[in-house]
Amino acid sequence: MKEKIRSFIAEITFNDSSLIKDDTMIFDEGIFDSMGLLGLINFIESEFNVLAEDSDLQEENFGSVERIVAFIEKKQTQAA
Amino acid sequence: MTKRPFSKDILHLENIDEVIDMICEKLREDVYKRFRRYGGVIGISGGIDSSVTLALAAKAFGPEKLLAIMLPETDSSPESELLAIELADKFGVKSIVENISGALEGFGCYKRRDEAVKNVIPEFNPATDKMKVIIPEEFVNKNLPPVHFVSVILKDGTKKRARLPLKEYLQIVAASNFKQRSRANMLYYHAEALNYAVIGTPNKHEVQQGFFVKYGDGAADVMPIGNLFKTQVYQIAKHLGVPDAIIQRTPTTDTYSAEQTQEEFFYQMPFEKMDLLWYGWENNYAAEEVAPVMEMTAEQVNNIFKNFARKKQTTEYLRTPPLHDYYIKKQLVKM
Repeated sequence: MKEKIRSFIAEITFNDSSLIKDDTMIFDEGIFDSMGLLGLINFIESEFNVLAEDSDLQEENFGSVERIVAFIEKKQTQAA
Repeated sequence: MTKRPFSKDILHLENIDEVIDMICEKLREDVYKRFRRYGGVIGISGGIDSSVTLALAAKAFGPEKLLAIMLPETDSSPESELLAIELADKFGVKSIVENISGALEGFGCYKRRDEAVKNVIPEFNPATDKMKVIIPEEFVNKNLPPVHFVSVILKDGTKKRARLPLKEYLQIVAASNFKQRSRANMLYYHAEALNYAVIGTPNKHEVQQGFFVKYGDGAADVMPIGNLFKTQVYQIAKHLGVPDAIIQRTPTTDTYSAEQTQEEFFYQMPFEKMDLLWYGWENNYAAEEVAPVMEMTAEQVNNIFKNFARKKQTTEYLRTPPLHDYYIKKQLVKM
């Protein structure tokens, strides 16, 4: 899951995936803009069947690869 | 040179006449000597920026060498046109109205936009309901890029809102941008017919934060207030006698059918505050020095600085003119 997310972020931001570490703060680094965030929301919905509610849109859920993974896992556990 | 201590008055123009003369002198130099145009065409909306631009251009060229054009469309507020007429009359500038609704219908501007709105709010009826794009308050200052919602006011007054998925967000923005681009087309028609230059109206924040449409309101030959903060634009407005009704008006986007301020759509803070914070960020003042003046914490200031940096970086594309240096002929070197 982690690698899929990393590759997606790298692909839509035209960055080398090796530059996006687990804890790289993707918003602080200026890697992501509004379109990046919306693209990511679409991606986790289609790829992992996880729907992000308005209240989920927090830096603690989307700020880095490891936070996104934790968010998806939490949502999947809640749905199970 | 040492920096002036950060204060609330740091952007106040002490020598306002000198600033105005400098802008007017450069306008004449650029339009007459550099571009060899006989005067200027300005799109006026009844807003503060286009009003100050017109006042400055009237001073630089004389009102007889200006043409002011109002470019309303179906969603424009009728008040905008009345204020624009009052402005042109006040400065003795000839004004005309070019309604662009027909062109927009032809481009499918409204149809394409409304189709995207209906995808997220199916009960939206463009014939009777109003819409706008917003960034809800709870998404402001979260250290996330702005998240856009569409907000609809139904005929019976009920308000509905929904977060915009990527496809719909892009379609609404792309369709709405027909408005600014159609205006630019009309301005260039009149400019070319008179051998005039197009005088653009964006201020410093619009230019630097990317709050303009590339080749829309960003299409112009000169932008006389492009390096002025909004509070400075107001200061010049008062000094040059822009009508009070325009100065008192809250800046709006005048783009969507529902009323919408620029603050709720884009800037997310009052312009007096934004001016000072942007100045502080741009001139490398420490958040610790800026914070007490702004009655904020250093952490809040730092978050806003980060947001500014992100906005500037992510909108670089808009400010970049076409790139053409793809083939550079090798210099012939004599052996």
